Amino acid sequence: MSWLRTLAAGAAAPIYPSIGAGMLAEVEQLFASAPGLRRAASPRDAALLLVAGDIPAEARPALDRLHDQLPHPRRTLAWKAGEPSTQISARLNEAWRDLAHGAPSEPDRLPDEPPNPWRGIGPHGQGGKGMMGGTPRGRPMAMTGADIRDGLELDRYTARVGPFAPMLPPGLTLELTLQGDVIVEAHVLSLPFPQPEEADLPALCAARMLRLLGLEGAADRMTRGHAPRAAWIRGAVPAGLGAWPGAGDARDRLDAWLSGRQEGGAPRDPARALPGLEWHEATLLLASFAPGTLRRALAEAQDLQEIPA
Amino acid sequence: MDALLIIAAWTGLAALAAWGMQRQAGATAPLAAPFLGGGTPDTHAWQRYHFRPYTMALVFIAFEMEMMFMYPWAVVFVREGAKALAEMGMFLGILSVGLLYGWREGIFRWQ
Repeated sequence: MSWLRTLAAGAAAPIYPSIGAGMLAEVEQLFASAPGLRRAASPRDAALLLVAGDIPAEARPALDRLHDQLPHPRRTLAWKAGEPSTQISARLNEAWRDLAHGAPSEPDRLPDEPPNPWRGIGPHGQGGKGMMGGTPRGRPMAMTGADIRDGLELDRYTARVGPFAPMLPPGLTLELTLQGDVIVEAHVLSLPFPQPEEADLPALCAARMLRLLGLEGAADRMTRGHAPRAAWIRGAVPAGLGAWPGAGDARDRLDAWLSGRQEGGAPRDPARALPGLEWHEATLLLASFAPGTLRRALAEAQDLQEIPA
Repeated sequence: MDALLIIAAWTGLAALAAWGMQRQAGATAPLAAPFLGGGTPDTHAWQRYHFRPYTMALVFIAFEMEMMFMYPWAVVFVREGAKALAEMGMFLGILSVGLLYGWREGIFRWQ
């Protein structure tokens, strides 16, 4: 099987980055320019977990969950601020070669237990009684609620997304209730990690939106500082999405970034605009604000909520 | 007889492949958890939600019925001539009334 291992080692190293404070721009530059590295869209697609920057203590359990979702063989690499990107790129490539040649995998960090006991419970082994009373695979079934568009009673799915979701700013954790792909409720559980000024550069902000639109190549060119080479990008963003007085809509902000201008206006309470949007619109909306602007706006909204009216 | 043997061989191979894959699927609970960027779900992912594009599906069926009628019509069109043309015109006219009705009801708006 050694020729298979050689072939595998020759492929680009699949890496899932978990981005901590201050490392957003550096990680984006790394994947846009370093050879032989591929940014995996989910941990299932990755073999290496790159932990960039400092992860605060409250995000550690999430990092452990993420670590255990990488299939075997897997390895974790830490990238501390100050290490040059050429060095981390060499270390990542070396780790990938090692793994492909049979280096030992890391064991799970969490215990191998389902979220709730369910095996052998109930008349059909579904973990409870009745049609909706079971907990198959340890999780209860979703309960119904009125659809916010037409009141149709269908299932509501509640989950916390983040802080290392690739489509959200790093550090942002949202508690979302979804019906299909429509957001019914949204609460901010943790703010995005602070990032340096260079993460707010127009080219990087535009590249983030392009990546969400599926234009990976154009996004990489943008990150490296070239023109995106994709026709009529602005048309891919729905008109009127995320319109704020003084800040235009998401399409205007992408336009400004594509022509190298910083967007000016700051949103008020962006999380309140999420209910009613479909999931892809919500991620585009959040990406249409520079990370620094979004963090400030979310922090202000949280401060306002904490003061009793 | 040959065909039967080939089918039996393929079935056997598929069963072997399925058996081989099933062992890899034995993932631990944290490895099999749904990916939410480090977050956790409250409920099982199995859920019923509103499938919006069914009006689109009705429009698709309208066009498909039209095509089903057009194939036999095209075969006899040369022989029948103007009569066949008039018949198809009537059929398309009736169908387009349905489409106009749908348009008025807003089925072409994505919602």
